[in-house]
Amino acid sequence: MGLMEQVAMPQPVKFILNWGRKYSLWVMNFGLACCAIEFIAASTSKHDFIRLGVIPFAHGPRQADLLVTAGTLTDKMAPALRRVYDQMPDPKYVISFGSCSNCGGPYWDSYSVTKGVDQIIPVDVYVPGCPPRPEALLHGIVKLQEKIGKEDIREKWRAGISTPPAAG
Amino acid sequence: MHGHAVVRVAPARYVEAATLLRDDSDLAFDYIEFLTAVDWRPKGGGFEVVLHVASTVHNHHCRLKVDCDAGAPHCPTVSHLWPGANWHERETWELFGIVFDGHPHLVKLVLPEQFEGHPLRKDFVLMSRVAKPWPGAAEGEEEEEE
Repeated sequence: MGLMEQVAMPQPVKFILNWGRKYSLWVMNFGLACCAIEFIAASTSKHDFIRLGVIPFAHGPRQADLLVTAGTLTDKMAPALRRVYDQMPDPKYVISFGSCSNCGGPYWDSYSVTKGVDQIIPVDVYVPGCPPRPEALLHGIVKLQEKIGKEDIREKWRAGISTPPAAG
Repeated sequence: MHGHAVVRVAPARYVEAATLLRDDSDLAFDYIEFLTAVDWRPKGGGFEVVLHVASTVHNHHCRLKVDCDAGAPHCPTVSHLWPGANWHERETWELFGIVFDGHPHLVKLVLPEQFEGHPLRKDFVLMSRVAKPWPGAAEGEEEEEE
């Protein structure tokens, strides 16, 4: 961080760093419901998101760059999601996969469902659908990679968008 | 109804009826399928505990319905007859607020610890529906269609 704080990053260096980061996304599958099955389908040979550089099934959140919340998040499960997110090292990204994860979906009036994971953690890309097809996840991943490609990693770190809360 | 016998019993004789269902050799209801409740208060009734049991010996089913008080509903437990009723009664207790007298461990099963209220009661306030009413037909009409 020391050198990066002092020197403005030349465009080619930025490009290469981002290029490396966006094609090496270790993904953590936070599977909560049926959307997780579509996620798994996207990881298998037919859709195969490894060709996009997304490496499925990181051994744990501490090895992951990308969190995919696939399914219905309940209020009871929400602290666990926050904990997994806090355990991931920066820079980290979140794809919210499916209607439940985006906004509560068909459970919009439920007493137990969190109306969108963005109430708990910051989300980079929302994939709509109930459940979305694996192709939709591939599209979401490409959109996320476009976003990473345009990023200035210094600003991402400085902004501290994912600073851990004071009391874990 | 639906090929099952449906028996309505008073709470005072509920355990007696359930014991008969389980122990009589011609009935031999040795398996509990589910135990739940219905909130009939919007229609002027009280709470109704529904017990669905089956027999693996004779391959037949039976439903027991117990009418409970609308204000402070109480119902005897059957968890000593069918251990499988234990969790069903805990769930029914937390979702409907029906107290199962004699239950060995009546604490929350699926709801978070700090949850207040009984969400499957018809008068439970859903915040989302306060902000945006249910867009379809009224709930009573839907129930009559079924």
